[in-house]
Amino acid sequence: MDKPLRIALTKGRLEKDTVKLLEGLGYDCTAVHEKGRRLILPVPDAHMEVVLAKAADVITYVEHGVCDMGVVGKDTLMEMNGKLFELVNLGFGKCKFALATKKDYPFYDGFGVKTIASKYPNVTRAFFENKGMDVDIVKIEGSVELAPLLGLADGIVDIVETGTTLKENGLAVVEDVAQVSARLIVNTVSLKLRQQEIEAFVKKVEDYIND
Amino acid sequence: MRRYDLITPEGTRDFLFEECALKRIVETRTREIFKSMGYTRVITPSLEFLDVFRLNSGYFSQEELCKLTDNKGRLIAVRPDSTAPIARVVSTRLKDAELPLRLYYTQPVYHFAPSLKGKSTEINQTGIELIGSSSKMADIEVISAAFSVLTSVVQGEPVNQKVNYSLELGDVRIFRELMHKLNATPAQKEEIHSLIESKNYPALNDFLDKLGDNKITRSLRKLPTLFGGEEVFERAANVFQDERIQEILDNMKALYHTVCAINTDGKVTVDLGLVNKTDYYTGLVIKGYLEGYGEEVISGGRYDKLLDEFGYDVPAVGMAVNVDAVANVIGKKYIPVQTPADVLIVAENGCEAQAVKTAELLRAKGLSVEHFLDSENAEQYAQNRGIKKMILISKDNEKEVAING
Repeated sequence: MDKPLRIALTKGRLEKDTVKLLEGLGYDCTAVHEKGRRLILPVPDAHMEVVLAKAADVITYVEHGVCDMGVVGKDTLMEMNGKLFELVNLGFGKCKFALATKKDYPFYDGFGVKTIASKYPNVTRAFFENKGMDVDIVKIEGSVELAPLLGLADGIVDIVETGTTLKENGLAVVEDVAQVSARLIVNTVSLKLRQQEIEAFVKKVEDYIND
Repeated sequence: MRRYDLITPEGTRDFLFEECALKRIVETRTREIFKSMGYTRVITPSLEFLDVFRLNSGYFSQEELCKLTDNKGRLIAVRPDSTAPIARVVSTRLKDAELPLRLYYTQPVYHFAPSLKGKSTEINQTGIELIGSSSKMADIEVISAAFSVLTSVVQGEPVNQKVNYSLELGDVRIFRELMHKLNATPAQKEEIHSLIESKNYPALNDFLDKLGDNKITRSLRKLPTLFGGEEVFERAANVFQDERIQEILDNMKALYHTVCAINTDGKVTVDLGLVNKTDYYTGLVIKGYLEGYGEEVISGGRYDKLLDEFGYDVPAVGMAVNVDAVANVIGKKYIPVQTPADVLIVAENGCEAQAVKTAELLRAKGLSVEHFLDSENAEQYAQNRGIKKMILISKDNEKEVAING
C-alpha cells in the first residue's frame, strides 16, 4: 500500500474555505475540526492526510515533495517562486496586490528613485522591473501602511482586500499589481508517480468549484 | 573581522562515512553500467571560461552561476553543467575522432541555490553523452542507460526494497512548432512558456483567451495536460491535427513502445508539456523520478545544435544522474555499515619496520590492517573499534591474539 496522499493547507484565512471545499467533496474532516494542537491529521476513508502549515511553508513542503499537494494563496506563490505545478485556481481567498500611496500623492512624478515598503519584496521588484523602473525596496514585517505615513516610503505594495485599512489611514490605490486567490499546487514528481490519484482529486475539485 | 572557519558555505556540505559510502555506491553502480555500455570517462576542469555556458542562449541564468575572474580579469564560471564543457572538448580536441563518441563523467556541478530553501549549491552528477548520431538507436541507448541506473540503484543489493520509479519521455519540438506558428510577441511567448512549464492551467487559459481562439491556442491549452501513459498519443492526435507534429508523435510512440518492451518493471510515461525554460534540448527529453525525492533524479535529452555553437555540427544525446538525490533516496532504506579493520598490529618500540612489513604482507592477502599508535591499552582499543585480531610484534616474536568482542 502506498503512503497516504498528503495535502498541506494554509492555516488561518484559507483554512476554513479549504476545509469547506474538502467537506463539499465528501471528505470527513472531523479530525481537522478537532485538531487541538496536532499538525498532521488523517482523513478517514480517503487515504489522505492533511498537514496544517503557514503559507510559505506549504510551498516549501510541496516543492520538496514531503507533501504531494497544497492549498496556498497566489500572493505567497508570487513571492516565493517555487518549482511546482499550479493546477487549479480555487476561486476563494480573493484579494489583490496593489500599489498604494498617500491620497493624491504624485507617485510617478519627478526623476527621483522612489522608495517602496512591502512585505513582498520579490513581487514588488518584479512589478517595477517590468516597468523598467528602479526603486528602493524596504522590507516591512507588520502594518506596511505606516511606512508612507511616517515618511519612510513613497508607496507600498501590499495585499488589498476591501481597502478599508488604506482609506482609514488616508492612503489610496494607485495601480493594481495582480489578482490573488487560493491555488491548488502539486509537487512535480508526485503528479507523475501518483498521477491517477491526484488527477482524480483534481477532477473532483474542478467539478465542485465549477458547479 | 568575522571569521568563517568552522562552517561550510550555504548549499555545500561535508560527506562523512555512511553518506560517503552511499554516494560511492551510486557512483560505482552507474559507472559500471556506463563502462559496460562502452563509454569512456572524461574529466573536465571545475573552472571554465564563462563564455562556454553561453549566457545569451539562456541555458543558464546569470544568478545561478558561480563566477570568478582569472588573473587577467577574464570571467570564469565554476561549471554549472558537464554537457557544455564536454561539447567544447569534443568540438576542439576530439574533432577528428571517429564518431560516435561515447563519453561519461562523474563530477560535481555548481548552481547557487536560493537562500534557505534547503537546496544544494554543489551537486554530484554522473552522466553520459553519446555524440555523433541522430539515430533512433542512439536515443534508445541513452534511455535504456537511464533505466538501468534507476533499476540498479533501487533494486540491486544492498537496498533490495521496492521503491517506485518512473522514466518520462517528452519532445520539445511539439512546443517549439506551436510557438513558431503562434502570433505573439516574444514577451507573451515567454509567459506562455513558463505557464506551460508550471502546468498552470487556469492562468494559461486566461492568457490564451487574450490571443484569440484558433487551432494553435487551442493546442497550447491542451499541451500541459498531455501526460500519462499510452493513451496520451491518441489524445494528442485529436488535439493537434498537424502533419509535422503527428510525425513527431509517431516517432515518439514507437520509441515509447520500444522502451516499454525493454523494461516492464518500472513505469514509462510521456509528458508532451515537458518544456524546461532553460535548456539546450532540441528533441527528445528524458526525466527520471524516484519515490521519496521531490525533483527529478535523472535529466537528459537530445541536443543536436549545442556542438554547432562550438563550431562542430554534430548531433548528440545524453543524460545526467543526480548522485546526491539517489543516495538520499537509498539512504532512507539502507544504512551502510562501517566495517572495522581486520587486524590491529601492536609493535614494541624498535620493531616499527617489522610491523610495517607484516602489515603489508597481510594487506596483500586482502586484509585491512591498522597500526596501534599508543604504548598501552591496545586490547581495549581493539575492543572499542570492533577489531577481532591483534598481532603483537616484539624483537624476536610475532604473536596473534584473538579479541573477544
